Amino acid sequence: MAEGRRRVLVIEDDPETAEQLVETLSTNGYHVDLAVNGNEGVSRARAAEYAVMTIDRMLPGIDGIAVIRRLRESGVVTPALIVSALGEVDDRVRGLRAGGDDYLVKPFAFAELLARVEALARRSATVVKETVLRVGDLTLDLVSRTVSRGGRDIDLLPREFQVLEYLVRNEGHVVPRAMLLQHVWDLHFDPTTNIIDVYVGRVRRKIDSQQAYPLIHTVRGVGFCVRAPS
Amino acid sequence: MICIGIFGAAVVVLFSYVYWSTASYVRGRSDDAIVAELAILRQAYDRPGRYGLIATIGQRIADERFERGLYLLTDASLAPVAGNLMVWPSVLKDSGGWGDFNVPESNSDAPHRPLLRAAFETLPDGYRLLVGRNISDLDDFAAKIELAIALSVLLTFILGGVASVFVTRRTVGRIEAINTTSRAIMQSGLGQRIPRRGTRDEWDQLADNLNLMLDRIEGLMGEVKEVTDNVAHDLRTPLARMRGRLEKAYASQRDAEHDQTLIGDTMADLDSVLRMFTSLTRISQIEANDRTAAFRPVNLSKLAREVVELFDAAAEEKGGHLNVVADQPVLVTGDRDLLFDAVANLVDNAIKHGRESGYVAVEVTRDSGGGVFSVADDGPGIPANECQQVFKRFYRLERSRRTPGNGLGLSLVAAVARLHGARIDMADNAPGLRFKLVFPVLTAGLDNDVAPEACSDSGD
Repeated sequence: MAEGRRRVLVIEDDPETAEQLVETLSTNGYHVDLAVNGNEGVSRARAAEYAVMTIDRMLPGIDGIAVIRRLRESGVVTPALIVSALGEVDDRVRGLRAGGDDYLVKPFAFAELLARVEALARRSATVVKETVLRVGDLTLDLVSRTVSRGGRDIDLLPREFQVLEYLVRNEGHVVPRAMLLQHVWDLHFDPTTNIIDVYVGRVRRKIDSQQAYPLIHTVRGVGFCVRAPS
Repeated sequence: MICIGIFGAAVVVLFSYVYWSTASYVRGRSDDAIVAELAILRQAYDRPGRYGLIATIGQRIADERFERGLYLLTDASLAPVAGNLMVWPSVLKDSGGWGDFNVPESNSDAPHRPLLRAAFETLPDGYRLLVGRNISDLDDFAAKIELAIALSVLLTFILGGVASVFVTRRTVGRIEAINTTSRAIMQSGLGQRIPRRGTRDEWDQLADNLNLMLDRIEGLMGEVKEVTDNVAHDLRTPLARMRGRLEKAYASQRDAEHDQTLIGDTMADLDSVLRMFTSLTRISQIEANDRTAAFRPVNLSKLAREVVELFDAAAEEKGGHLNVVADQPVLVTGDRDLLFDAVANLVDNAIKHGRESGYVAVEVTRDSGGGVFSVADDGPGIPANECQQVFKRFYRLERSRRTPGNGLGLSLVAAVARLHGARIDMADNAPGLRFKLVFPVLTAGLDNDVAPEACSDSGD
């Protein structure tokens, strides 16, 4: 099981994209298997236990959607991240309906791919029920919905609390904008404005201003990351 | 050809019927007259008797009004007793009935012996009585009808032929005109139109419809070209910037800090290009597909509050105020993601293009049943003559060229509004702009089963 936690299957037919994916995931501590077409993907996914699989939407032979459908029908529940160059609105729905767990549109930032793979991998691990989250000197009480830093209470709007909670739960990992929008606002599209940055900027002002060190970091072109200095 | 054949057969059948019914009517009238005459003579025979009969026959022959009548009374041995026929016609052998025969030779000197028709009967005393008429006239009449009918049939065919040639020529001519125009369009572009005759007939209507279709296609082609040009322009600008930056860096010495900035800036530029693509494909997807099947009830008030909460920080950054009045749940049917995107674009526009440190008011109301989302700013507004232009892809007001954006926001809003059957109203807010999305009245029945979303927003 421990080994399966870090094992990822990449189903991708374009050699260069496949190489980039394998490299990104490998350098981040994953053991990566590559399948270059749908049939190979199906047999590999059935043969071994993976934490996550990434599936290209357009594959020679059977396409990504069909791969997921076949795997789900044969009882393989490995979380699947669909990677597609097709338009988002309809295709996303189709992919998720077929049994995909998340959806990423090409071209994408590798940090975002990594963030999504990690989120899916964590989801397949056991979820611990916590009532208090801590990062550095920041404390979130999930029951009373209060936040304090260095012993001083900070006032947050309910939605700001949700944003912070999501970032803190993913401590040390990059949270892409779209994932934040999806989990906090239940919206499934890439915003065409920089509104999330402005919103997180305000949360950051409340959390980080006049503190010894910043906790919320912006990852350029991707999203945000909560991290305490080690 | 089949048509002409059917038409010809119908004409022949029709005229044959006219001929047959006319001829039998005339003949029937003639027979009726004979029967009536015979009855009168029988009466005269019954009372006063044979001599009365002979006298009546005599009167009839003398009377000019009965000029056409033939009478003959013979004894049992067929020897004539009275009448203007000299001999009993040899063809009448029975004791009574009808017969057609030519005038016996002894009755006339003329070479032409007219045709007669007669009814006869044997009287109780063995005498025989014959009453007839000269039906040569009837035959002449029938012959005239035959001729007239034959001529009519001929005339009908000639006229029909001429008319069909004329109509066919005309039809073929119109079709040929359409064909010619179509070929010209395929060869040289959409500039041409199908000529009208001005007769307002079906052909003109067809020409009108085809021309309208061509207008629409030409309009769409124009739009596509404009969009393509704009995409090319808006892509070239950041791409050129990126290329220049990379080229300069390539030629100069490596400097870790400088490289970091350069790569970051380039990625940001690439992201803006990708965002533009996202917007473009989203708009065309919304326009191309009917996704109304996936529509769900959406609480417009809750959505507006969420959007405002998101943009509050942005308004604050600009030193302005963003206010929302949306207390009552107002339900519309639609796609929440798309509505959120559209409403977010409108609020974003109001903040971006409104007055510095200005005031933006968002309101959700119900107007005669349909939901209304409105956002008003106190900025410079949009000049009246540009109100429709702003919905075009990539259109930007002259003074907005320097603010961030790609001119796709309102195109997206327009596409989302069209998909939801919503009307867009732009009004002068004096000062500023008031932008409204007026949604259609919610279909009955939906109001009840949307309670969950309407209720669950109490905590927000």
